[in-house]
Formats: sequence, C-alpha cells, structure tokens
Amino acid sequence: MTDPYEVLNIPSTASDEEVKKAYRDLARKYHPDNYHDNPLADLAQEKMKEINAAYHAIQQERGSRHAGASGSAYAQQGYGGQYQQRTAGNPAFQQVRMAINRNDLGLAEQLLDRMGDHNGEWNFLKGTICYRRGWVDEARRYYETACQMDPGDPEFRQALHFVENNQAGYRPEGYEVFSSGCGGGNLCGRLACTYLMCNLCSLGGMRFFCC
Amino acid sequence: MFGYVRPSLARLSEGDKERFRAVYCGLCHTLGRRYGPAARMILNYDFTFLAVLLWQEEGAEPQRRRCIAHPLSGRGYYPGNPALELAADESVILAWWQIQDALADPGRGKAKYRAAALALRSAYEKARRFRPAFDGAARRQLERLRALEAARCPSLDEPADAFAKLLAAAAGEAGNPVKRRILEQLLYHLGRWIYLVDAADDLAEDFSSGSYNPLLSRYGLEQGELTEEARAGLVVSLDHSIRLMAAAYELWDFGPWSPIIQATVYEGLFLVGRAVLEGTFQPNDLRIAGGSKEQL
Repeated sequence: MTDPYEVLNIPSTASDEEVKKAYRDLARKYHPDNYHDNPLADLAQEKMKEINAAYHAIQQERGSRHAGASGSAYAQQGYGGQYQQRTAGNPAFQQVRMAINRNDLGLAEQLLDRMGDHNGEWNFLKGTICYRRGWVDEARRYYETACQMDPGDPEFRQALHFVENNQAGYRPEGYEVFSSGCGGGNLCGRLACTYLMCNLCSLGGMRFFCC
Repeated sequence: MFGYVRPSLARLSEGDKERFRAVYCGLCHTLGRRYGPAARMILNYDFTFLAVLLWQEEGAEPQRRRCIAHPLSGRGYYPGNPALELAADESVILAWWQIQDALADPGRGKAKYRAAALALRSAYEKARRFRPAFDGAARRQLERLRALEAARCPSLDEPADAFAKLLAAAAGEAGNPVKRRILEQLLYHLGRWIYLVDAADDLAEDFSSGSYNPLLSRYGLEQGELTEEARAGLVVSLDHSIRLMAAAYELWDFGPWSPIIQATVYEGLFLVGRAVLEGTFQPNDLRIAGGSKEQL
C-alpha cells in the first residue's frame, strides 16, 4: 500500500493536528460538492478514497484516538448518485435521470425533447445535460427557469447555486481573486444558504466567501 | 490563440519564473528550428502554457544560449523535447486556422492577416503532416464556428463549444489515458474561457464593424458594451469555467509545473478576465497578472 503520509503529503513526524489539517485540506479539494455533475467525478472519488484510507491508517497507527470522528464523514457523500433519490417523480423523468447517470446525454436529451410539458423538473434536467457538456450559460438559464417554476425545490436551487456561486469552490489558502474583482456580489446573494452550503459547513473548519 | 493565458507572477518563486521563461524560450527555439524564423512570430504565453500542460519529461534542466532577442547575456531555455515539439506543431496549426478565420471575417482588416498567412503557409503545411488528427479537429471546429457566426448564433455556449473542442483536441496525444481525460476537460474549459474573454475584448470593435460577436446576440446588446446584467452573467460563465479547469488540474500530479498551473487557474486567469471586463487589458504585458514590474 502507498505510504499514507505520502498520500497526505506530510512527513511521518507530523503532529496529530497537522495530520488533521492536511486531511481536511485534501478532503475539501476532492469533496463531491466540487465535482458535482463533473465528467471527472470518478477520478475525484478515487482520490477521496485514497485520502480517507490514508487518514484512517494514520489514526489507527497512532492509537485510534480520533478514529471514526471525521474520517468517515466524506466517504458517505455521493459523487454521481444524487438523481435516484427523488422519489415522487414522473417515471418518464426517472428514465431521463438514469440516462444522465449513465452519461448517455444524447438519449436523455431525446427523451426530454419528446415531452410536451416543460415544467420545473424538465428545465432542471435540461440544465443538467447542458452542465455535463460544459455549457454553463445555458445550464444556468434552465436552472433559473426551474427555480422560477418551483421556487421551493431544494434540488433545483442547489444546482443554480452551484453554477452561480463560484466563490464557494475549492481554492488554495490565500487565493481570493475573481473576475468580478471581489468575493460576493449580487448573484450569490440572491439565494439563501442552501443544502449545498450547509452540507459543506457541517464539515467544520472551512472558509467561505459567500453567505 | 490570443495571449490571455498567463500565471500570476506574484505567486511564483524566482525558480518557477525562470522555469516558465525557459519553456517560453524553449518553444521559441523549437518553432525556429522546426519551422524557420518566421514561425517565431506566433509565440505567446498561451502556447507556452500549452507546452507546460503537455510536458512529459522529468529531470531535464534548462540550458543557456544567446538569441536575437537576448544577444548579450543569453537566456535559459529547454532544448527540444516531445512536449515542446507537440506544442510547437499545435501552435502553428492553431495560429494558421485563426489567421484563416480572421481572413474570412468580413468585418476585419485583411492586410496584416494576408501577410501572416503568407509567412506561415509552409510551416502550416509541415505541421499538418506531423499532426493530421489535430489539424482535422481544428479545421472541423473552425468550420463549425464559421457557420454559427454566419447564422448569428444567439447562444454563448455553442460557438464557445466549437473553440473549446478544438483546444481539447490538443490533448489527443497525451500518452496516459487518465492524463488525456483530465487535459481534455482542462483544455475544453480553457478554450471556452479564451473564446468568451476574446468576445468581451472585441465587443466594441465588433459592434462598430458589424461583425458577429456572441455577446451582442446572447444579451441583445444595443451598444458596444456590456450592461450590468450581461456582465454579471458573463462573469458567472467565465469563473465557472476556470473553476472546472482547476478541478481538473487537481486530479493529476503535474510535478514541478504545479506552481505555474496553480498560479494560472487560481489567479492569473481571473486577473486577465477582470482586466478585459474593465477595459484595461494589455496584450503581452505580464504585469497585469501579478501587479509587479516584472516581465518575462
């Protein structure tokens, strides 16, 4: 097995605090929320597994003082399976979600284009297809329409928030420049702190430039 | 390409700056050696960054030699290697097709592009034999782009996708399949970002000349400048593409090149984007991306 200290990029003489910090930094970088609907999510998931395994190995070696405390928190998160969780949905949309999960975007789009009722979920799924292709502007427009149609839907709001709120993405410490000049601005203030942010906040010890 | 891509110099150590400069000079020498002195005119930081991303060798150290630009003291440079040759070939192909694109644009002056096409023709013929797959992708995507422009496509994403796919094709020769996937995603969003930043940079000029500009049609602009709302929307697209580039970068170990790529995807591109949006961008002035007086 790879040296766990090498995985966390720290010397084996690192203190418990330093180990924890290195683990948190890496987990923040490869967290599922940074790779939401990302075509490379599988690679991020592999990285996360390595990091979790390394952290556990170090904890065990050091006497299990913190084993299980935060080490397993990240492993529970999903990188791509979010779409099956919607229960009371239209079965036709379930098919689209399954096609998106298989990354068969052509089929997903065909299925959507055959539908007459362009409701909130239709717009959300259309946005998801655009997003997976890297078409950020159109993804955002569809997500906006979905949110206007169903303002209370947490899934739609999360998707829109993710595209718009670029300040929340991972950055190395000390990097805070954006094209708009500053962190914040009216775009990210438009929506309340959603599931996405709360999910991240709960991991503790992290900095955000918004909310 | 256009010279928008650069690391934030303030984030680089002296050693990293020296290393980036040695790639720049190495690419210049490789262009000269493979294609003759005229091909050196296409050199810019975008192509240098491409060479950094495509780098394969480890352990090679820069050498020193004098050249026309630095006749007295000489400069450190990387001697030819497969990454520099690949970057040089792809740079010539990209530059050639961009010149063709400018010649096909009815709103632009032609003289300087005709001269550039003349100077680059034999280099292009050679490069296209070295890299037929990349040349094919460049030709296809630029034809697609031209058709979208002629139809005055109202989407930002669609024309940006053509240029993004063109640049992503530069990853085609990365040996490792995982690295290729990562580079394709990184270069896709780099191409997308370049296309959109260039559209913002050219907005006033395109508006006066009546040329196609995706921002004019996407936001229904009635002036040659962005409204507050259009600007905010464009910033979301630009910053999100940079975010996706950074997410891709973090999945591969770029070894000694990591500080340069990090200083580009976490700061340099944002600084350039901001300068373009504020109308203060100066091509070939690296100071924009670092605030210092340094130049490479």
